[in-house]
Amino acid sequence: MLLQALFAGFFGMAAVWFGVVVFRTSSMVRSALALLFSMTAVGAMFLAMEAEFLGVLQIMMMATEMAIMAIFMVMYMMDPGGLGQMDMSHQKRAAQAAGVLGALVAIGVALLTSWGPAANAAPGAAEQTRLLGIELMERSMLIFETAGVTILTAMIAATAAAIERRRR
Amino acid sequence: MITLLVALIIGALLFGIGLYGALSQTNLVMIMMGVELMLGGAMVNLVAFWRFLHPEVYAGQVFVLVVMTVMALEMAVGFGVGTARFRARGSVEMEEARELKG
Repeated sequence: MLLQALFAGFFGMAAVWFGVVVFRTSSMVRSALALLFSMTAVGAMFLAMEAEFLGVLQIMMMATEMAIMAIFMVMYMMDPGGLGQMDMSHQKRAAQAAGVLGALVAIGVALLTSWGPAANAAPGAAEQTRLLGIELMERSMLIFETAGVTILTAMIAATAAAIERRRR
Repeated sequence: MITLLVALIIGALLFGIGLYGALSQTNLVMIMMGVELMLGGAMVNLVAFWRFLHPEVYAGQVFVLVVMTVMALEMAVGFGVGTARFRARGSVEMEEARELKG
């Protein structure tokens, strides 16, 4: 249990550190890579918490997502390499206050709530994946199907928004 | 129990950093990165709740899958809007955006 807490804490601190780097570096490509590392560390945290399927899924999804994000950043940013040291932020003080306040409130709730006894063991990886599949195909099927339809709708909406309109 | 608290604190920190990023950045792509970090924090909490409070109820894992879907959708729609904006105005700086007209 202690080893699990150590691993979860280590990967969690890595996720937080890379999360900070995302907004500290002026190079957009480095920002995208830092977010990739942060999300990968979150995936490693899932693995440390014995959610193997979700951990592997998170790492695979984020690797693809951040690769796409890096391409868009290079395409759309005025200074993707950060060589011009442009400041692309505003209302920093208010944003810092909101971020610190949000984190403190969430930490306060986490520490002050009585969570009850913690479960000691989770099912093995293969059993977990089987049970998740059964959950998706039975009780949560409507949610799963709704997610699928929502993805399709978003794909069509994003393409429609991005497509070039020809003016007659 | 200690791992649950560690995970909840990490989730709170990720949420705070993401909130700071989403509020302080002027570029659409960077704002989306902030939102991704906030959703990452929420996912850490959900996995910790599933693992340490109710490992026998798989709705917790389904909730994480839904959040992952939301992350992917946010990226897709955000980049769609970004592409339209870049075509119309040549930039994705949100300080210059006062309307959603393409």
